[in-house]
Amino acid sequence: MTALDTPTDEVTLTIDGVEVTAPKGALIIRVAEKLGIEIPRFCDHPLLAPVGACRQCLVDVEGQRKPITSCTTPIADGMVVRTHLTSEVARKAQQGIMEFLLINHPLDCPVCDKGGECPLQNQAMSTGAAESRFQDVKRTYPKPINLSTQVLLDRERCVQCARCTRFSEEIAGDPFIELMDRTSDEQVNVYREEMFGGEPGPAGSHSDLGSEPLRSYFSGNTIQICPVGALTSAQYRFRSRPFDLVSTPSVCEHCAAGCAQRTDHRRGKVMRRLAGDDPAVNEEWDCDKGRFGFRYVTAFDRITEPMVRDPQTGALRAAAWSEALAVAAEGLRRARDSSGGVGVLTGGRLTVEDAYAYSKFARIALRTNDVDFRARPLSTEEADFLAAAVAGRQGPTYAEVEQASAVVLAGLEPEEECPILFLRMRKAYRKRALAVHALAPFRTTGYEKLGATVLPCAPGSEATLLAGDASLAAALSQPGAVLVVGERLGGAPGGLSAAVALAERTGARLAWVPRRAGERGALEAGCLPHLLPGGRPVTEPRARAELAGAWGLEAGVLDSRPGRDTGAILAAATAGDLGALVVAGVDPADLSDARAAEQALDAVPFLVSLELRNSAVARRADVVLPVAPTVEKAGSFLTWEGRLRPFEAVLATGAMTDARILDALASQLGVQLNTRDVPAVRAELAALPATDSPRHPPPQVAPAPPPVPADGQAVLATWHQLVDLGTLQDGDDELAGTARPSVVRLGKELATRLGVGDGDPVTVGTGTGALTLPVEVVDMVDAVVWLPTNSPGATVRRSLGAAAGALVSVSVSVSVPVSASVFVSVSPGGSR
Amino acid sequence: MSVSQGELSKQTSIEFSEQTRDRAREIIARYPAGRERSALLPLLHLVQAEYGHVSPAGIEFCAELLGLTRAQVAGVASFYTMFKRRPAGDWLVSVCTNTMCGVLGGDRTFETLREHLGVGHDETTPDGTITLEHAECLAACDYAPVLTVNYEFFDRVQAEQAVEIVDQLQEGKRPVPDRGARLCPLPELSLQLAGFADPRPEGIADGPAGEPTLAGARLAQRHGIAVAGFDPETPIKPKEEDSR
Repeated sequence: MTALDTPTDEVTLTIDGVEVTAPKGALIIRVAEKLGIEIPRFCDHPLLAPVGACRQCLVDVEGQRKPITSCTTPIADGMVVRTHLTSEVARKAQQGIMEFLLINHPLDCPVCDKGGECPLQNQAMSTGAAESRFQDVKRTYPKPINLSTQVLLDRERCVQCARCTRFSEEIAGDPFIELMDRTSDEQVNVYREEMFGGEPGPAGSHSDLGSEPLRSYFSGNTIQICPVGALTSAQYRFRSRPFDLVSTPSVCEHCAAGCAQRTDHRRGKVMRRLAGDDPAVNEEWDCDKGRFGFRYVTAFDRITEPMVRDPQTGALRAAAWSEALAVAAEGLRRARDSSGGVGVLTGGRLTVEDAYAYSKFARIALRTNDVDFRARPLSTEEADFLAAAVAGRQGPTYAEVEQASAVVLAGLEPEEECPILFLRMRKAYRKRALAVHALAPFRTTGYEKLGATVLPCAPGSEATLLAGDASLAAALSQPGAVLVVGERLGGAPGGLSAAVALAERTGARLAWVPRRAGERGALEAGCLPHLLPGGRPVTEPRARAELAGAWGLEAGVLDSRPGRDTGAILAAATAGDLGALVVAGVDPADLSDARAAEQALDAVPFLVSLELRNSAVARRADVVLPVAPTVEKAGSFLTWEGRLRPFEAVLATGAMTDARILDALASQLGVQLNTRDVPAVRAELAALPATDSPRHPPPQVAPAPPPVPADGQAVLATWHQLVDLGTLQDGDDELAGTARPSVVRLGKELATRLGVGDGDPVTVGTGTGALTLPVEVVDMVDAVVWLPTNSPGATVRRSLGAAAGALVSVSVSVSVPVSASVFVSVSPGGSR
Repeated sequence: MSVSQGELSKQTSIEFSEQTRDRAREIIARYPAGRERSALLPLLHLVQAEYGHVSPAGIEFCAELLGLTRAQVAGVASFYTMFKRRPAGDWLVSVCTNTMCGVLGGDRTFETLREHLGVGHDETTPDGTITLEHAECLAACDYAPVLTVNYEFFDRVQAEQAVEIVDQLQEGKRPVPDRGARLCPLPELSLQLAGFADPRPEGIADGPAGEPTLAGARLAQRHGIAVAGFDPETPIKPKEEDSR
């Protein structure tokens, strides 16, 4: 007997002569797997509901007239199962099914992307007969067709297992592909009007994508779970053979979800990325941005050598590392020792190790607390919140969110801003009807797919609702409830204070979900003006003493005065009160006022840029130092949960980490940073003592009265769409083709006042500029207008210089075609 | 995808008559809250009643009313052969060409009609009166070979009678089926299938099982043949409640 004990909800059965005890309700195929018996299958997937579509997993069960599908049949007490290993009936049944499945399959493995890693190929070899009895002409189709710009379908290869359509409906909630037609014509497809007598569009036109686009952020998963070569990736098609690839486990660098991935590369070039299997984090899924967004690394404007600004020509020129480091060190030394000092902006995309190096570099080498990782709208309240309620705390985790009694979302649209968290919440909603509440100006499709109860909330009113809404408090008072706040809540005065108070009052767990992969790590590493590594407040003597001890510093080296945040640093630069700036991965277009940020970068006397590509910062810098992208270095990210996600370099190149460059820079300044290699930084981080200094007190900012729009005005609501103009998506055209269209959303009342309907051009403006986009009328809080933050035609930060909660003017654009009316040019640089 | 309650009042972008919209609401109201998508099959019959086939506009109409994607609606609509994807004639002539009917004359009937009408399977005569199709089993082997006109049976029909039937139809006459209700044109029938009964007294016809249907049972009775151990009073077990 294999199992150890038999509680009442377990049953005992026999599979291939082995007696086994397993939980009641388990499927035969799963129990057999645990015994090491692999039953061939195509449609079966452990994370999808059983369907029994392909019939490949037939087994012989005693007492049954015919072989039955082991992927749909639950085990029963006393059941006697014989698989193909011990039963001629099962073996013959599986062989017959395989023969059927291959009737119309082209057997074009030599030219198929899947060849070499194909379950159909493998199982045809293990289970099928050597020869087919089929004599007729195989059914063929024009190949391939586009299901979207990135998913291609070769219909003749399909075995109608419905994994892709089931994934789209069950997991992603985007049922835009379905099995169409019937019998031998049955095929997966998007909706195309020509199937119902509509006019087909011309070949090669956009209508190749069908009449209803496959609008999903998760469609790449269908390619990965397709058990045959029917679904292929436009990005990867014909680019490599599986057996030529080197596969390296990796961690996605895009968002704070921290997905495990597998990066497949060949001859030093990344060919594709696949979702890794990590039940605690991303299960087996990945979003399309994480899967397809990796070509930015090989963009034309990658910086490959250091550059210094030539005093004679005023232009950047290539320089040796020794020269560039010397010039940078000299400039920083002068600024440090002058009255202005040096500011450090690290951005939200660094690894923990690199962020730690910046934090240490600022404190020891530059002797400043003017360091901030936040390259986005921010507030002092947010900094206090992060120090008090997030830094150094673990969880809640994905599993806790999945098991939560209720989840309240504030300042977060998870499908757009943390897609894997969205999938986990959707799973909980589908499996156990998780109650989701969201504070938002309108019900997005993401909230709809979570079955969320939306509390209508204009930007800026979050604090009032969090403080006073009884339904929220009731939901959060249940044991196991979780309050999830996004980084955008920091833009609502009093919002984070109210969130902390609400969590405390109700006993709910509090999670902070930033958008970028490096934000949580930078917070723990102390890239904030009032926080040292490990959540230590700079103002606490004990905190400074702990760190001085760990770093081997004399007392008094660490400044006890909190530094300036991103906004104050840039303001000081503009005012001429800053000597120099060290900037890592920051795009000015991400800051609430992009133009003001660029003016600050122009004004600062000395600018050092540690950059991957020729960015808006690098172009203005006095010294540019090229750094390694994630794929070329080891490091770690912290997920929004605070879970450490270490990874090793995928590609071995000469590119250096930020930490290593800072180490060299520090030694030019006469300081030992000891961040030369990643293992050393990890060892130092691990050796940091646990702090027993008092925590930073939580913020207690009172809700501000929400802005009152005058006639012709509205309050701006905005967030990033997952697929947009972000620089880490540059060069991935197939991915860009699946972006949601840029629209301006407003409510019925405002639409009526303006006299506009769906599709009409509407102009949203500020003193800085204006944007014109087609309108989509939704159930929106009145006098609120929504724009995507950084999508084609909607570069809010650059064009409007405004963040959520700002007052904007809204007007009807007359007689201007929408496509030509975007008179504020789209920034080619995009943002991070 | 859930259905929000506002969907019904939502103005669809397609022009369907107010009567069709009212009927659509009536159909949807027949199903329990949260299970509105079960109304898809009758709704597809409804749009077929208005346009003679399920057009792209009909797909969109159903999708918007039920909160489904058009792909989901199209998947269902393309599965069932009763939903026509191209404009169909007033009279759908279905000739059974499965084994029993086929060997007893169905195959010859279909070939004859094809030549006579000049159209193939799932095609409509140029005058728009008749759509011809060869059908899978029509569940009337006891009356084989059969054909149906708008799903009403003409029993033991050979090619010559079939030609007579379609000729009458093309002349505007309505031949009387051997069983069931009187003929009505396809749009009207679609409306009935959508769940709006024919108000005519003879619209719905029912009768005792015919002699050919009972022949087997009588034979069994005469010779005392029965299923071993079968109790006609065996209760039908309710299916286990579907899990969410």
